[in-house]
Amino acid sequence: MPPSSRIPPLLQPYTRLPAYDSLFLLTSTLGASANWLIIRFLCEALANEQDDAGAEREDVAVVLVSWMRDWDFWKSEGRKGGGLDLERLKREGRLRFVDGLSGLYLPSTPEAPQQSQPPVSTSGASMPRVAQNVLPVRGPPGRIPTRTPTAPVHIAKPASETLTPQSSTPADGQSPLISPDLKTLATTIQRAMESLKNPATRSRKTLLILDSPDALLATQPIITPSDLCSTILQLHEKASHVLVHLNADDALLSLSTPPQPLEVEGHNLLVKMAHVSSRILSCRVLDTGVARDVSGVLRITGGGSNTEGWWDESDNRSEEEQGRELLYLAKGDGSVKVFERGAGEG
Amino acid sequence: MAFRKRNIALSRTPEASLDPSSPSSPLPSQGVAPLAHSSPQPAPSIPGVRPSPIDGRATTSTGTASLDAILAGHAGLPLGNSIFIGESGTTDYAGTLLRFCAAEGVVQGHKVHVVGVGEGWGRDLPGLHEGREEQKEKKAKEAQERTEKMKIAWRYEGLGEHGVARGSSTSSSGQEESVFCHTFDLAKRLTLPVGTAINYIAIPPPSKSSSFVSVLESLQQHLASSPPNSIHRLVIPSLLSPALYPQFASQPQHVLQFLHGLRALLRKYPARLTAMITIPLTLYPRSTGLVGWMEHFSDGVLELSPFPYDPIQALATSAGATKDEERPQGMLAVHKLPVFHEKGGGGAGLGDAGEDLAFTVSRRKFTIAKFSLPPVEGDTEAQQGAAHDAGGGTMPKKEDLEF
Repeated sequence: MPPSSRIPPLLQPYTRLPAYDSLFLLTSTLGASANWLIIRFLCEALANEQDDAGAEREDVAVVLVSWMRDWDFWKSEGRKGGGLDLERLKREGRLRFVDGLSGLYLPSTPEAPQQSQPPVSTSGASMPRVAQNVLPVRGPPGRIPTRTPTAPVHIAKPASETLTPQSSTPADGQSPLISPDLKTLATTIQRAMESLKNPATRSRKTLLILDSPDALLATQPIITPSDLCSTILQLHEKASHVLVHLNADDALLSLSTPPQPLEVEGHNLLVKMAHVSSRILSCRVLDTGVARDVSGVLRITGGGSNTEGWWDESDNRSEEEQGRELLYLAKGDGSVKVFERGAGEG
Repeated sequence: MAFRKRNIALSRTPEASLDPSSPSSPLPSQGVAPLAHSSPQPAPSIPGVRPSPIDGRATTSTGTASLDAILAGHAGLPLGNSIFIGESGTTDYAGTLLRFCAAEGVVQGHKVHVVGVGEGWGRDLPGLHEGREEQKEKKAKEAQERTEKMKIAWRYEGLGEHGVARGSSTSSSGQEESVFCHTFDLAKRLTLPVGTAINYIAIPPPSKSSSFVSVLESLQQHLASSPPNSIHRLVIPSLLSPALYPQFASQPQHVLQFLHGLRALLRKYPARLTAMITIPLTLYPRSTGLVGWMEHFSDGVLELSPFPYDPIQALATSAGATKDEERPQGMLAVHKLPVFHEKGGGGAGLGDAGEDLAFTVSRRKFTIAKFSLPPVEGDTEAQQGAAHDAGGGTMPKKEDLEF
């Protein structure tokens, strides 16, 4: 099955990456996570050029930075939802994963958070000793098939991700974030992007996906939204496309009666990002309550920097610019249906 | 020790066919390489762990059968996930859930880690419920179910209550190992096993800069030093309650970093660790960004809103208005479910979680059921009351108070 078919037809114009550099914003709420949408963007970028638009399709490399979810999650969801073998793509040098969850606040050793250099080579050493001690005992039977390039199917086995005791295998193509420092973040991501550029001499476009960088803001009050925003823009200079996923719950953004700095900063970051992004896709739960055949509402609007004509390929531009609301249903097997209001199968 | 194959749905088939205790079962080979085995279940010898009926990931019981039943069809809490329970008001119903969870862990031989409270908390864990009464209750329940089946359409029979059915499908043959979710009695006390079943992690004195780091470190040490197939449960009662935690703990850089680290730890040990956390919502409302972030860092979010104490209802109960059915003590809202919402939220498995849920705590049970107002009872009683003493009633009625 060609991976492009994993993207619902109604969604396809919105996940397609434009020819020029762009910054997309993705928002989600507690009950309506946008992970499935990130998977669709991964599909769009990493799918092989075998669909109808293949002629103009460029080879896109992806750097996925996640502060909330680990590699195993993306791997299994990418396989189920997107039909992508992310492990293989990582080996082929089309994908890099920057792990902002495992090493950020989990003390591996008491001195670990002070390390300012997170090169990939030391990642094995900085892993807690647990991993080193436990994995070799139980690891080899499960991990050997994942390493052999001849049998990428083994990775796709549903059992493997639930059974591996260690989520982060210190494989290449994966760099952990050890410090919440923004400079470290920037250098780590830049290094990951450069490593993607190396194998192919031709210049390829890079899609940088930042999953919940606002978690950084929430856990580190020293970081200001403008710093984070400028870091993202700075990374945007290197990456042609940036997809930022932020959490947009009411509780995180609307100010309580004595306004908390946490809420103010989250609010500021979201508004800033919304203004510089050229397309906004926001997931939220159904306003009318829980429904069995609808997971949530997807609202797609042009962002603040919409003036440069992001919708060049569409005819009915005025209608699209006003924004569009679609319903979606993310099924348990990873497939997603996107449909207009009232067009569900009932 | 009797082994049963766990990848076969226990409740659906009579156990005669699949039953166990054949010593030449493929268990030894699984013991050698449990990970390489493609079958979805973990080493089947781990008590209190069974594969989810949906996707086969290992789950463990929360100690509350009806809570297991609403967890998105997994019929248990998937390992490597956490549940965050907020409760408003001054009651401690959520604490009951935690005690059941901890007691279940102790009974199953899991390692239970309790943060912030002393050993007194562990001494108050509910004891195991007696089997005889259970059977009586089961019979009563079956009878009740039978009468209910008369009422509802037959096609709804198969829906719902999956976990309940699985949970109660055991103990007929007296195999203690096969019980997934025990029934506890709040009026009894659990006798702790001699080996310290509960590890108490104290909050360090506020002199330290980040008091939570040591909690994570201690957890990590325990996970590292214990055998790789041991299951750990982390229980945190009343997180950030000022009675237990220093004042600065509620600053985002402390508690949110802790929860982020805990999330990382759960992902690092996806087959060994679960966590259950409660928080007093009156002190930390859900509308604040702090709690919002705490919920985002957790995998499941539940909210308990107990009903305010109503003296009229208390009187009505004492008058015997509701004999057979216990009045719910509050509403339970499901905001996020483990695994389910992470995938996008939708499709099969939502079950009752989308409905209005109410909880009832009785001596033995924490029951979560669909909430429905009893329409008839109050009315007839009011009508009767109005008919009997229209002139001057001693007991204040609802109508009198409302106007």
